[in-house]
Amino acid sequence: MIEIFGFIVLGLVTGSLAVSLGVGGGIIIVPALVTVFAFGQHEAIGTSLAIIVPTAAVSALAHHRAGRVLWKLAALVGFAGVIGAVAGVNVALAMEPDLLKRLFAVLLAALSIRMALRARRLYVASRSLDGS
Amino acid sequence: MLRYGSRMESNWLFAALIGIVAGFLSGLFGIGGGVVIVPAFVLLLQLDQYRAAATSVATIVVTAAAALITFTVTATGDEQINWAAAVIVFSGSAVGAVVGARYLERIPEYVLTGVFALVMAAGAARMLL
Repeated sequence: MIEIFGFIVLGLVTGSLAVSLGVGGGIIIVPALVTVFAFGQHEAIGTSLAIIVPTAAVSALAHHRAGRVLWKLAALVGFAGVIGAVAGVNVALAMEPDLLKRLFAVLLAALSIRMALRARRLYVASRSLDGS
Repeated sequence: MLRYGSRMESNWLFAALIGIVAGFLSGLFGIGGGVVIVPAFVLLLQLDQYRAAATSVATIVVTAAAALITFTVTATGDEQINWAAAVIVFSGSAVGAVVGARYLERIPEYVLTGVFALVMAAGAARMLL
């Protein structure tokens, strides 16, 4: 029961992040499934993808209504992405879960630093706007 | 938008490259790939942040679906997808996406990115240690 509640909270957080930042939410879902819900790395990857597809669809629809989606570009990048995705899944499933987990953690750490710097830049910008 | 539109024809190669890299990361790590797509759209194709985010999620629908289908076909044993968990998390994320699209613009972006950075740092630490 607590687990179900946790899953719903995870969904609420990732859904709102997905729509506001334009991401699928996997960078929150995968670590949450692995560290909080004790999923295996491969199981977490597949489950994350199963969540991302409909979440991104809802998110894309919301943005489409606001007239912000460049569909031609999305289709082009998306179909090129299919090639990469098929390769990526096959590499992931061939890899040791533990190595995959560590690689992912490194990516996460790098991204969190980038995000933190961006947050700082945005904060500074908003301050200087208030001051002027 | 027109500024971007005029660059589009000459930059289709960039677009295809962004797709392949983002798709690979999507399949490898189980993410959507937006962490690559959004900055690439902004830096390489000069989209503004809003169009970049919006177009990114539309792109993710296609790449993540390809990754999901490949995963479903290829995974065996305990690698397989936990569909029950996926459905429950999605029920939350659908609400989050709809509500977020409507109200998140009121929260300063530095707060969102700051919280996001903290959550990712915590995840990275727990997965490495």
